[in-house]
Amino acid sequence: MSSTEGDRPVVLVADDDDDIRDLVAFRLDRAGYEVLRAGDGQQALDLAKEHVPDLAVLDVMMPKLTGYDVTRELRADAATSRIPVILLTARVQEADVARGFEAGADDYVKKPFSPQELKARVQAVLGRR
Amino acid sequence: MVQALQLASLALALAATAFVLVLVLRRVMLSREERERQAVEERLRDDALALVDGDDVALPELHRHEAAIFARMLARYSRQLSGEPRENIARYFESGGHIDHQIGLLGSRRLWKRAAAAATLGDMASPAAVPALLDALDDPARDVRAAATRSLALLGAAVAVEPIVEALAARRVQRAVGGWALMQIGAPALTRLRGLLRHDDSAVRATAAELIGLVGEASDSAELIGLLRDPSAEVRAKSAHALGRLGAGQAAAMLRGALGDRIFFVRAAAARALGQLADRPSIPALVHQAQTDRFEAAQAAARALAELSPAGLSTMAALPTGNVHLREAAGRAEIL
Repeated sequence: MSSTEGDRPVVLVADDDDDIRDLVAFRLDRAGYEVLRAGDGQQALDLAKEHVPDLAVLDVMMPKLTGYDVTRELRADAATSRIPVILLTARVQEADVARGFEAGADDYVKKPFSPQELKARVQAVLGRR
Repeated sequence: MVQALQLASLALALAATAFVLVLVLRRVMLSREERERQAVEERLRDDALALVDGDDVALPELHRHEAAIFARMLARYSRQLSGEPRENIARYFESGGHIDHQIGLLGSRRLWKRAAAAATLGDMASPAAVPALLDALDDPARDVRAAATRSLALLGAAVAVEPIVEALAARRVQRAVGGWALMQIGAPALTRLRGLLRHDDSAVRATAAELIGLVGEASDSAELIGLLRDPSAEVRAKSAHALGRLGAGQAAAMLRGALGDRIFFVRAAAARALGQLADRPSIPALVHQAQTDRFEAAQAAARALAELSPAGLSTMAALPTGNVHLREAAGRAEIL
């Protein structure tokens, strides 16, 4: 299934926290993106495989599959390997950041986060592709 | 006698029934409140998100409890956010008189109201609450002080660093709460912590040294090395601990000297730090300490040896001269 629905790029937002999902989705929707929402890692992976979004914003600590796991799974599948991933995480020790990049993430945003900064990172990552 | 027992069991049965009824009623009420809350949030969510995003939102007329639900929703959002959205949330609470209301509650006779108000002020994101929260650090109740500490951290109040450290040193705030708060405040906290290394109160100096070990930089090593000669043993120990955490290799020589400190827990802290620094020249001194010192210092030295030379430690532990600390550390090294 193609990713871009209409003219709007599609962004998958995955976080088990309803508030964070709402905040991120609201900002990205206003910025002109079509937003898919997932409440856990498995749902995120399923939606990514079904819709092949233009970008995925993933919380790290999620039930069922972590953001790291989802990233690795996306990279391992030829159909989804090119989806850029931004990790949204409260874990920003060096080891955690390194782990994210090793899993295949393209960028990370620290929590608590600025929705404007997240939007800018999304634009930057999509602009690179 | 039988009649008395029958009466007693009847009374117990009635009490139990009443208790169950109260629980059921309470459950029904809570469910209804929860459904109401969800309905109000559903209705007002877009307004809340727009407000967070900086829009001038014209809210519909809200009943008091709806306004409270809306405020709690914004407060929840503020915990997840940084930057301009938090300022937008703060402006809403300031203009609606919410901040003043919560500050007023800090003077309540009821502990739970004071604690709830102290916590809520952090979520409301308004710097106007800082002075009142600083006062709340002197509240007689620990929960209020902890909530005030947390909120000051959420507000990024660098001016709170010294009071928080003093509260930590006086054990008026739990270590985990105070430590977290200072890490949240971040770089501005570090600047003020450095100033506290010269405080008159040795407990404050020790706490500042410990915290610099958590949030400090390599450049802080010089001052911490100087504190290895502080008159207070607590300061010397915490400084040794911090130097180990910071990975301050240049402190190794002084730390080796601290292995001869007259206070055992300073010797123990120095041994741990030398293990963290992987300081091989300290091995002979650590072996001596592991074999001859009192329990805590000997154990720390043996564990440091496990980090420096696991193979050497195993050999020493197997010798007739190998004592319980060397054998325990060797065993732990094998397991880990």
